[in-house]
Amino acid sequence: MNVFWKALAALVIGTVLGLGLTWFAIFRGAMPGGVSDGSWKTNLLIGSAGGDMATRASVAVHGLLALNRSETVYYTAGTDSAGDKLDGACTYRIAGRDPATRWWSITAYASDDYLIPNPAHRYSVSKTSVVHEADGTFAAIVSPKAAARNWIATAGKPYSLTLRLYNPDPSVVRDPAHAALPSITKEGCP
Amino acid sequence: MKALEWIGWIVLTLVIAFVVHVASVRYLPHAIMHIAMDKMGAVNEIHHGRRVDEASRGVVRPSPDLLYSSCPFDLSKGTLEVKAPVPPGTYWSVSAFDTETNNFFALNDRQIGGQPLELILLPTHGGQEPAMHIAGQLVVRAPTERGLILFRTLINDDRNFATIDAIRRQATCALQGGARGGTSSGG
Repeated sequence: MNVFWKALAALVIGTVLGLGLTWFAIFRGAMPGGVSDGSWKTNLLIGSAGGDMATRASVAVHGLLALNRSETVYYTAGTDSAGDKLDGACTYRIAGRDPATRWWSITAYASDDYLIPNPAHRYSVSKTSVVHEADGTFAAIVSPKAAARNWIATAGKPYSLTLRLYNPDPSVVRDPAHAALPSITKEGCP
Repeated sequence: MKALEWIGWIVLTLVIAFVVHVASVRYLPHAIMHIAMDKMGAVNEIHHGRRVDEASRGVVRPSPDLLYSSCPFDLSKGTLEVKAPVPPGTYWSVSAFDTETNNFFALNDRQIGGQPLELILLPTHGGQEPAMHIAGQLVVRAPTERGLILFRTLINDDRNFATIDAIRRQATCALQGGARGGTSSGG
């Protein structure tokens, strides 16, 4: 093999390795700065400026156009409260009280990070759309089967949930790992 | 001798991998923002997104409870003037992002106190205040010449959709003096 072909091979293999490393580190890897509150995970760096180069790239990939956390805190859940991965075929109950914020919503997203197609357009529940119980609590149902009320539709495929807190209470901004957030309980699987 | 030569090629390959990795991580925010801005439409014009549903695939994880309006900006040809009425009784915010995806400015309906938004966006010149009020107008300095302004309006009740949608569509975003940054005109 002459020098030209060896140099070309080094260039091609090096480029593929470098891009592969970026893919795994930024797109697939966990974002730095994450905190958990039960099933719900958030990232203190989303919406912020600064940080090192890798952090900036992660924020761009995972939190594009997100607001800073004094304006909005975004939590994501990929597991139920028992720690098991959310299963698109199963039914879950999200129950609790309104989190300490001006307005909140819980939305289901498919693994491609877009809304889950469903004819009823039941993508989310929010502080203003959810039907509360007389004692102020609420229970939403996340399921591929229609529920009578507070239904978030799934489609039997993998998904995750995003909880948005708009204009959160300062206590949530200060300590997002200890906010009172709704629990996610598996009700059953077919 | 042969082994040494191979080690040299392996080291060269690893150096190339490292350089490509660092360059791609460095350039990624810029590339992602560029793609997002292109999807929004022409620069220095406001674009009102339709109600979010499963077909909305411009930016990841959109909220179906919000109405989004955007104005990709390019300050190379002038100063941007943004005006918007604030819908009463619901969450509303305007935020601005630079080409590195940093959220350098945000203002919500409560902070603005019911007044309509009048915002001037200028390119930054080192060390100046990022935002200030001059003669009743909010003046914001963008860290980069290009970027994106994003309006969020909450649909607090489906029955209010038509009203909220009509109000947010009154927002304007244009270069001062009526010039546009995207294309040149013949006359």
